[in-house]
Amino acid sequence: MKREERAIIFPIGEAISFSIESIRRRFTRAIITIVSIILGIAFLSALLTMSRIVIAIGGEAAGTEAVPSYELWIAVIALLVCGVGIVNSMLMSVTERYKEIGTIKTLGAEDIHILELFLIEGGIMGIVGGIIGGVLGWGVAYAMYAFQQQSAEVSSRIVQALLGSVDLIGYSVVLSVILSLLSSMVPAYMAAKLNPVEALRYEV
Amino acid sequence: METSLRYEYTVETEDLAKNYIMGPVTVKALDGVSVKIRRGEYLSIMGPSGSGKTTFFNMIGGLDRPTRGKVYIDEVDIAKLDAYELAWLRARKIGYIFQTFNLIPVLTAVENVSLPMTFAGVGREERLERAKQLLERVGLGERLDHKPAELSGGQQQRVAIARALANNPVIVLADEPTGNLDLQTGLDIITLLKTMNAEKGVTIITATHDLKMIDVSDRIFWIRDGKLERIETRKEVSVRPVGRK
Repeated sequence: MKREERAIIFPIGEAISFSIESIRRRFTRAIITIVSIILGIAFLSALLTMSRIVIAIGGEAAGTEAVPSYELWIAVIALLVCGVGIVNSMLMSVTERYKEIGTIKTLGAEDIHILELFLIEGGIMGIVGGIIGGVLGWGVAYAMYAFQQQSAEVSSRIVQALLGSVDLIGYSVVLSVILSLLSSMVPAYMAAKLNPVEALRYEV
Repeated sequence: METSLRYEYTVETEDLAKNYIMGPVTVKALDGVSVKIRRGEYLSIMGPSGSGKTTFFNMIGGLDRPTRGKVYIDEVDIAKLDAYELAWLRARKIGYIFQTFNLIPVLTAVENVSLPMTFAGVGREERLERAKQLLERVGLGERLDHKPAELSGGQQQRVAIARALANNPVIVLADEPTGNLDLQTGLDIITLLKTMNAEKGVTIITATHDLKMIDVSDRIFWIRDGKLERIETRKEVSVRPVGRK
C-alpha cells in the first residue's frame, strides 16, 4: 500500500455523466427543485434589473430607493426557502440511494468520491436553475417596461439599461451555483460518511 | 496478482468476535472464530439465518470493525488500516457479490464493471477494454450497453461477477449469490464462480443456504450462533448423509 497512490479522483467527465444519469432517474423531483431555484433567482434578477432601469430613466418613476429594501428581503427569503428545498431534495436522493452508496463503497470508493458525486448533482441543478432564472428575471423586467407608453428618449434609455444588465444573468448563475453547492453540502457529507454495512442493509 | 502468490493464506482470522448492542441486550453475532483460508480455495460458509455469516463476511471484507480479534488479508492486519487504505483494499484485493446483485441502476453493464477500476485508478481505455473482456467471459458480450433493469436476474448476477473480478482481486466474497435466483440460473452462477476460481486462482468465499454450493466447494464451514461448528471438506460432506440437510 503505497502512500503515493493516494489522491485517485473520480474522473470528472464520468462523475458528471453519472450525476446527470442520476438526475434523469429522478427527473420529476429534479425539475421541481430546479423550478424553485428558477423562481427564486428570477425574482432577484428581475428586481435588480428593474432597479437599473429605474436609475437609467433618472428617478422619473418616482423612486427614491432603487430597490426597496423590503423587496430585497423578500428575494433573500425566497432564496433561503429554495435552499431548504434543495437540501430536502438532496436528502431524499441520498436516502433512496443508500444501497447504491454502500455498494460503491465496497467497490473501493473513498468518501471524497461520494461527496464529489452529490456535489456535482447539486451543482448541475444550480447551473440550470441559475441560467434559466437569470434570463427569466431579465425578461420579466424587460416586459414590465416594454409595454408602457414612453417617449423615444426614455425607451432608448431603458434598452440601454437592459443591455447593460446582461451581467446580472452571470451573477445569477454564480449565486445559484453557490446556493446549490452550500445546500448540497450537508446531504453529500452524510452520504460520504455512511457506514457501508448499514447502507447495504438498508431496504427502501 | 504477483503479491498474492507469496502468501499461503489469503485470509486469517484470530478469535474474531462482534457484539451488537441492542438496547439492554448484547447480541453476540460472532463469538471467537479462528480460521485460515488458503489462496485459491473455494469455500462455503453454511449456517441458518442469523448465525453470523454476514457478520463474518463484513469483517473479512473490511466493511465492519470487529469487537475483538483480528483479521489478516494477505498477512496484513486490516484493523491497522486507515480509511484510505481500507478503500484501497476493497478496490484491489476484494471483490463483492451480493444476493440482490446491487448493480448501479443508472450505469450500463460495461460501466458497472469498469467502476471498481475507476477507483483503482485504471485509465479509461484500459478500463472499458477489460470490462468488455470480462463481460464476454461471463457470457454477456451481447449485453454490454444494457442497463441493469434490462437484464434478467441471472444476467445481472453475471455482471456482478464480472464487476467483482474487475481488479483481479485475491478474494471474492459472495453473500448468498444464488439467493434470488431460480434453481437452474443459480446452478449456472455457481458453475461460473467455480470456473473463475479455477481459471484465475481467486479465492472464493460464499455465504449460503444453497446446498448446490457444496458440490463445488473445497471446504465448508458450518457456523451456528456465531461460532464455528465444524469444518468439512467436500468429501466428508458427501459421505455423511445428514449433511444433505
